[in-house]
Amino acid sequence: MLSIKNLNVAINGQQILKDFNLEIKTGEVHAIMGPNGTGKSTLASTLAGKEAYEVLSGEVIFKGKDLLEMSPDERAREGVFLAFQYPVEIPGVTVTNFMKAAINAKRRHFGLDPMDAKDFLKLMRQKMELVEIKKEMMSRSLNEGFSGGEKKRNEIFQMAMLEPSLCILDETDSGLDIDALRIVANGINKLRSPERSFLVITHYQRLLNYIVPDVVHVMFGGKIVKSGGKELALELEEKGYDWIKDEVAAEA
Amino acid sequence: MSFADKINSEFELAEKNASGEHVLAHIRKDAFTSFQKLGIPGNRHEEWRYTNIKTQLPETLSIAGHTTWNVSKDGFNGFADIKATKLVFLNGVLNTGLSTIIEETGVTVGSLKEHLGHNTALTEKYFGKLVNKYEDHFSMLNTAFVNDGAFVHVKKGITATHPIFIINLYNSPENFTQSRNLIIVEESSKLDVIVDFQNQGSSSYYNHVSECFVGNNADLNVTKLQTSTQHTTAVHTLEAEVGRYAKFTCTTISLEAKLIRNTTNVRLCGENSEAHLNGLYYGTGTSLIDNHILVDHLVPNCQSNQLYKGILDEEATGVFNGKIFVKQDAQKTNAFQSSKAILLSDEASINSKPQLEIFADDVKCSHGAAIGQLSQDEVFYLRARGIHESDAKSILTYAFASQIINTITTDALKVYLDNNLKERLHLNF
Ligand SMILES: Nc1ncnc2c1ncn2[C@@H]1O[C@H](COP(=O)(O)OP(=O)(O)OP(=O)(O)O)[C@@H](O)[C@H]1O
Ligand SMILES: [Mg+2]
Repeated sequence: MLSIKNLNVAINGQQILKDFNLEIKTGEVHAIMGPNGTGKSTLASTLAGKEAYEVLSGEVIFKGKDLLEMSPDERAREGVFLAFQYPVEIPGVTVTNFMKAAINAKRRHFGLDPMDAKDFLKLMRQKMELVEIKKEMMSRSLNEGFSGGEKKRNEIFQMAMLEPSLCILDETDSGLDIDALRIVANGINKLRSPERSFLVITHYQRLLNYIVPDVVHVMFGGKIVKSGGKELALELEEKGYDWIKDEVAAEA
Repeated sequence: MSFADKINSEFELAEKNASGEHVLAHIRKDAFTSFQKLGIPGNRHEEWRYTNIKTQLPETLSIAGHTTWNVSKDGFNGFADIKATKLVFLNGVLNTGLSTIIEETGVTVGSLKEHLGHNTALTEKYFGKLVNKYEDHFSMLNTAFVNDGAFVHVKKGITATHPIFIINLYNSPENFTQSRNLIIVEESSKLDVIVDFQNQGSSSYYNHVSECFVGNNADLNVTKLQTSTQHTTAVHTLEAEVGRYAKFTCTTISLEAKLIRNTTNVRLCGENSEAHLNGLYYGTGTSLIDNHILVDHLVPNCQSNQLYKGILDEEATGVFNGKIFVKQDAQKTNAFQSSKAILLSDEASINSKPQLEIFADDVKCSHGAAIGQLSQDEVFYLRARGIHESDAKSILTYAFASQIINTITTDALKVYLDNNLKERLHLNF
């Protein structure tokens, strides 16, 4: 599904990702943990194609294609979805209109006609139920005045609507109360399938109790420094990051 | 013959033809004398600095000249979805055949020429009374030459059920057509007016004046549509005087133009009155859209809002000048102004100038002007969901503009403008 090789990325002239490598097979769930400022969101934004992130070298192959050659919107239409850590508020654009434009852009990309209004509403209803979003939300401006939790739910709702092949979740769990965490995690789990891969960025093991990962990576200083099974998340929760830092220092 | 000489001789001729006329003749003559002093302003005139109207009016244009043509019922946009009394004007002259009137008690509508011609008292009381206050070049010219226009009168205590829709069609590239509205809403009455302008010719030139009298405790809501005004060079002047506890709302929507100047002057003359002036303009190609607004707070305890939004693409130019005058007596004034413009191309430009002159000390006055591009983060968010860059920009532009369209209270009109804007932006949701 996704293969990242020796990726070096800078922002504002400052290098953040350093020889970053990651391989995600179709259907797998990978979790990335790591201290603040190590470059987790940088990785997510680079994969989504945000202009400010300058790729210095390296390659990213997504479903056999060179991802870095594609525009951000093309990546999305091809099946990359990033649930943002901080979703942007967009006054004046309703969730419904936004989703209609997104769904139809994807359909057009695959040579399909725009979805008819009835099917679209049905799909919306289904996916709203998945993350228990109220109908009123759909006619509100995108993320405007949404609570932190509502924004995160809305991201997952969009993900469910667009049915991507690679879901990148950047701290979708932060800012969620206990009930909302369960709802969002259940929603994500319902989207798990043998054809879909996940990259879950989180600080808390809690989320991984719901969304059980196949692999857990620890990121530090712009690269993955340790990988393991789901037990690694538990270990980090218990011991913090210092021992990892020590290990890295010892190796250097 | 120079343009000025030409205008002089045309006026003399017009005067001769109208000889023996009543009080109107005097008003005309006075206005013309004022105009002769003022002339057509060039760009050295402060109010016309960025809008060089003089170079845009061919000197061959006739001011008094009038042509008409045959228009069928479906030869123009009659806004079939909007239930209203509709008055249709061809180059400024009422065409009764194309007009449809919904009779309402206490509401009088019709031809300005007819109503003023029969009623000296009415003419003396209202005609030309507001435009005199600021002695504006084009208003004076209009008063001197105007032949016909819309007359709307709502009696005391009447709430009109249907809007009055004034549809102005122009088709003459040879004339500088002078057209006019006189709108009077008496004490405690309520009325919605929609004024639409449509160009049917290869190009057209006109000078349109509206005088609006809003009585004590009355409510007048005017919406001006410049949505079918491609190849149009026009000067619009709207003057309003607002009485005690009265409310005046004016929304100016300019989506097409060669050169359009909208001057909107509102005088808050009665305590506790309010004015809400909203505007949306969208320029493409080489069009120039100019909005000059003046809210004159003359008495205490009044409030005013100016909310203007502009979109400028390609090589279009926008001009915004928003004046708030607070006279010495006008304590406890609450005045607000916001002007926002987005530039969608490097060649587009806007000249924006707030102008506050405050002579009272106990006032709340705020203004904000913002000129910028679409937010990169917002564009990216939309693209990250698969929406093409150009569509993402259109969606955000639409969102920016819809704030103004959403202030419109006539639903069918809101739908019309919403669709119009979506079409312009190639959006289909
Ligand atoms: N626009 C920018 N200009 C300069 N530095 C930046 C910019 N954006 C991010 N950085 C820096 O890049 C580094 C990595 O940031 P990033 O957001 O990827 O971290 P993160 O691992 O996601 O952290 P967190 O866990 O706090 O979300 C940080 O040191 C940050 O300050
Ligand atoms: Mg982050």
